[in-house]
Amino acid sequence: MKPPSAVKIKKMPSRFKHQVPKYKITRSDACINCGTCAKSCPYGVHEKREGQNKMKAPINYKCIGFECKNNDFYCVAKCPRKALSISLNPMYETLGDYRWTADMITGTWIMAETGYPPERTDLEYNTGNSGGGFDKLRLKFPEGRPKIDKSEISTEIPLNRRNDGRANVTISTPVYGGGMSFGSVSLPTMISKARNATIWNTFTCTGEGGYPELLQPYNDHVITQVATGLFGVREETIQRVKIVEFKYAQGAKPGLGGHLLGEKNTESVARMREAVKGTSLFSPFPFHSVYSIEDHKKHIDWIKEINPNALVSVKVSTPNDVDMVAVGSYYAGAHIIHIDGGYGGTGAAPDIAKKNIAMPIEYAIIKVHNFLKEEGARDAMTLIASGGVRTAHDLAKAICLGADGAVIGTAELVSLECVRCGNCESGRGCARGIASTDSELADLFNEEWATQRLTNMYHAWNVQLVEILQKFGMKSVRELVGRTDLLEHIDYSK
Amino acid sequence: MPKKYHIHSKVTPLDLDYVYKFKIERGENCINCGKCTKVCIYEAHKRGKGGDPRKMADPNTVVCRNCFRCIQECPRGALEKSLDKDFLNIGGSYWKSDMFITLWKQAEDGKVPVTGAGYRGPFTGPGFDSMWTDMSEIVRPTRDGIHGREYISTSVELGRKLNHLTFDENGKLLSKIHHTIDIPIPIIFDFPQDNLSPNVKVALVRAAAELNTCILLSADDIKADIKKYIKNIIPLISHKEIDKHQGLIKSVRFVALDYSEEILSALPALQGKIKKINNVLTIIRVPATKSVEDIVAKLTKSGAEIIHVVADYRGMENNGSADHNRRLAKDIIRAVHLKLVEDRIRDEVTIIFSGGIAMAEHVPKAMLCGADLTAIDLPLLIAIGARLYEEPEKILVFPEGLEKISVRTVMQRIINLMGAWHSQLLEVMGAMGIREARRLRGETGRAIFFEEIDNDTFGKLFKKREKV
Repeated sequence: MKPPSAVKIKKMPSRFKHQVPKYKITRSDACINCGTCAKSCPYGVHEKREGQNKMKAPINYKCIGFECKNNDFYCVAKCPRKALSISLNPMYETLGDYRWTADMITGTWIMAETGYPPERTDLEYNTGNSGGGFDKLRLKFPEGRPKIDKSEISTEIPLNRRNDGRANVTISTPVYGGGMSFGSVSLPTMISKARNATIWNTFTCTGEGGYPELLQPYNDHVITQVATGLFGVREETIQRVKIVEFKYAQGAKPGLGGHLLGEKNTESVARMREAVKGTSLFSPFPFHSVYSIEDHKKHIDWIKEINPNALVSVKVSTPNDVDMVAVGSYYAGAHIIHIDGGYGGTGAAPDIAKKNIAMPIEYAIIKVHNFLKEEGARDAMTLIASGGVRTAHDLAKAICLGADGAVIGTAELVSLECVRCGNCESGRGCARGIASTDSELADLFNEEWATQRLTNMYHAWNVQLVEILQKFGMKSVRELVGRTDLLEHIDYSK
Repeated sequence: MPKKYHIHSKVTPLDLDYVYKFKIERGENCINCGKCTKVCIYEAHKRGKGGDPRKMADPNTVVCRNCFRCIQECPRGALEKSLDKDFLNIGGSYWKSDMFITLWKQAEDGKVPVTGAGYRGPFTGPGFDSMWTDMSEIVRPTRDGIHGREYISTSVELGRKLNHLTFDENGKLLSKIHHTIDIPIPIIFDFPQDNLSPNVKVALVRAAAELNTCILLSADDIKADIKKYIKNIIPLISHKEIDKHQGLIKSVRFVALDYSEEILSALPALQGKIKKINNVLTIIRVPATKSVEDIVAKLTKSGAEIIHVVADYRGMENNGSADHNRRLAKDIIRAVHLKLVEDRIRDEVTIIFSGGIAMAEHVPKAMLCGADLTAIDLPLLIAIGARLYEEPEKILVFPEGLEKISVRTVMQRIINLMGAWHSQLLEVMGAMGIREARRLRGETGRAIFFEEIDNDTFGKLFKKREKV
């Protein structure tokens, strides 16, 4: 199996001419167009074309901001007429929100471009501004120099911990891609996710929208979903994968089923789902054949019968009794319990559901981890958390709280330059071509670009995770599971 | 099975001076290349400044959905975007500026607000923002989902109920069952502002009638033009003027009285006097003061049928002290509910709560905390384009030209808003597996409260460790 160090990263810049600037450089009338700034700025903010008398307008997004003042090439200081000034760009306020701040989005873009966490020190990209949950938890690193070499550290986790003779699937980094159906995202997005999962020896998930033929080369790294609408579920799709996921509910719209608006149900989407083009498609909630753990077991047995080697994952949202549901899934024979908290999600969901229904993932991880432990089932289950895991630090915190690994969705989309404008569902769909099946919009990027951006972002997360483990003196990410003693809460731990 | 309650929404734009969130400005270095017209899928950019097709027109920011395409693809970086100052100034600490955009949108199309890319707000907040509603993985209200053929009832029953039934030796019912009235949504319309134009006032009344709910109005405001809808009007009368309003009382289903200590002592007789005129239900409006729960309990013991607890427009207690010393809606309702439960009289009375009910989610949350139903006023006015400013003092600004808009349009926008709220109520109930809105009342077991869960998980984990 390929170790993370064998993954090739490559610089993959933005598809757009400009990026969203954090700073604004103002050039006053005092400027005499001498070109000193253009000569001194190594980032290319200032430009004076040969043969032209006037300076070009400053390229704001290239500026590294106030921290530049310690450099001897700082344009504001260098300008002989004091004509330049730097301020925060009002545009930056229109990017991001409490959960995904502008800095976090910018940081993720840099990771997707370079494969490493940003070198700039002016971006708070590890924690958001939501004022709760992960954003109030901090990793508590011990003093002193790390004694372990990074090359000794493993980020691999096993997914089958039942010892039931089924495949011993392991993933090289404790993260995999969330279920986004064909229809909710474009085909290039889906394929790039699968290619990246293959490169990283991890998984991606089809969501509930069928299994596009083009995903077949990546079968070993695809999880196929069986959800309440049973869209696109066939025996052969169950048989070709290593993991089958039952989706009971999803965090962004718990208890409401899946939902694809008619506008996005184009001809190809409809064919895949065996539905009528242009109609809104609802997956009912919940499984109409499941009233009890026994019924649930019957479903899992059915999958196990059709594919004797597959692992079974159960995806649920986070109600008050999520711990009972998890234990029930253990008794029903599932390998993975995947809990999806309310604050995540990528596709269209009612705002009222995202904000108000079911608990945030941070609480649910603790509840499920502890309850599985009390029931003596923790060691036989893989606990995967999703719905609000935005950064490598969130991932590490989720693992400290008791998860084995995480599923991410939004972070992947942001790597593909999603700006989180939230209009995934409207009109022609995603203006940035990520979550659209509109023929023109879905063509806005190619798979090479997208795969590399994802690979780079996964790499940057892995680099951060390894650094965290090194600071804690751990050789494996498995040692981090449930280590709440390594966390502190900025309200309580005082 | 009763006929399904359905609210008929219809797309109803209002061409008035809205405020929008994003502002795009075109810099002087624009070279009129037209790239922005090609990349914007919302058509914010068009040619034709001053009728000149060679020049780009000013961006139409009304349609901007913040996708950044024009910003990032302009070859000269000539476009700048910022949050609109007028937008940021609307509302205040409780009525957030973003709420206005979503209320306007719901009033326009009657649809449940849907967006992608996850939740974007704070983790938790004061009042209703510090609770979540529960859901169930396998229990469901109906066999075919919330949009299915079976009925999920959002109706609530108003009036006094018996604590228990008594029978004689022969098994014959002795108790007299009180008169109650059902309304199909747990929302009534509270007093409108004084300064409303006549078209708006009529539209509010007609919308209440169309929705089959009720609107509270001062007795003196009930003029001939709305008499037709009298069954959906709740007149507020002074308890001293019951005789004067005999005619009115004969034509309505409810009357409302403002609470005073005098009312408390006169209560059984007062209600009796009204009942003699007509079998109507009496609502007593009690301001949410510090001791509101005691007043509500006393009123209930004196036989009150329906009590309307009125908080201020931000859902805060009216006690004259600084903001941080005032209870918020969630805690006021819980205190009232719990007091009645402790006194074992909760089932006997109907509690209406108003004040700070600003979004659809506040309706089920208020009910989970213990209200039977809610009353709203400001969202109805925001639906027709009004803007609210909290600072320096509460002020409502109506769009210019509103008085010329047809009653039908104004009414439809109010109906649309209620349609969207009703659908959202169904979503929340569907997720909880609750099939009757009446059962939401006081069901705190189906709610998750931030203080409790945060303390139970993080508090336990991190506080304990510090002690060891």
